[in-house]
Amino acid sequence: MLPFREAFEWLDANLPGTLYLRDAQYGFTVLLTLHVVSMCLFFGLIIMMDLRLVGVANLGTRPAEIQQRLFPWQMFGFGLVCISGGLLFWSDPLRYQGKLYFWIKMGLMGLSGLNAMAIHFITHGSEAAWDSKAARVAGTVSLVLWAGVLVTGRLVAYEWLTYE
Amino acid sequence: MLEPFFQWMESVGVYSASPLIGPIVNLIHLLCMVTFIGALLIVDLRLMGAGLTGRPVREIARDAQPWLVGGFLGLVLTGIPALMSTATLQYPNRIFWFKMYLLAAACIFTMTVRRGMTQTDEVQGALPKLVGLLSIVAWLGVAASARLIMLL
Repeated sequence: MLPFREAFEWLDANLPGTLYLRDAQYGFTVLLTLHVVSMCLFFGLIIMMDLRLVGVANLGTRPAEIQQRLFPWQMFGFGLVCISGGLLFWSDPLRYQGKLYFWIKMGLMGLSGLNAMAIHFITHGSEAAWDSKAARVAGTVSLVLWAGVLVTGRLVAYEWLTYE
Repeated sequence: MLEPFFQWMESVGVYSASPLIGPIVNLIHLLCMVTFIGALLIVDLRLMGAGLTGRPVREIARDAQPWLVGGFLGLVLTGIPALMSTATLQYPNRIFWFKMYLLAAACIFTMTVRRGMTQTDEVQGALPKLVGLLSIVAWLGVAASARLIMLL
């Protein structure tokens, strides 16, 4: 029912270390906990930046400064989220292939990436553009999309909308 | 000693009206958590000499305060029904108690030592860095142990 079944079956059979990760006694536990903690780092700082962009928090700091100063830490968190999330996927590709929420989450992440590029182009080279309506809209969209990523990511754990 | 109380909490059946209440409360708990941690980090990074170094510590902390307090209130309001729904599973769980003690310690630390440290404009030396680091480690520890309650 969901796409790429055969490709994921191939991954399941051929990714090196998949069985080791899946069967390791604390593999899933450690990876999931690391995923949650690194999500706090990443999404927490994204929220602080977006709320400033929207114009509701951290108003004493210029948005350009928030973006610049928090960006390395957001990327640090993002790296950890991707590594832990990538390894979770690596440990059991077929499980995630059958989850509709997994696919929605991936789609929302793609849209978040596009929206981040939009923010870059909206604000690029002009301090005043940070306070434009377009920047506020993009900040709101970012908050909604990343919240959607968190929500759908959590829903993967339930058995809803799971297909063989 | 508290076991009857935990049995009573579960007997209330806070989630009994619908199977959707549990997941919804959990999702709100997580959204409050990331908001809370974001408001925490922006100040702790500054204490450690990173992040928004161009502004006084006091002002960053003041700006973040509503989101820190709001996130925390949301966490408590959603955490209580989450606990009540599975209270008899939580009671004998060592990780649950570890989380609660760490949470209590982190709250006291945040409202005393960290609060004092964030009421100045500029911080210097190793002590503020240590306070910022301890705060991050303690609160991420609360988040990690919460995740581990039902896994270990």
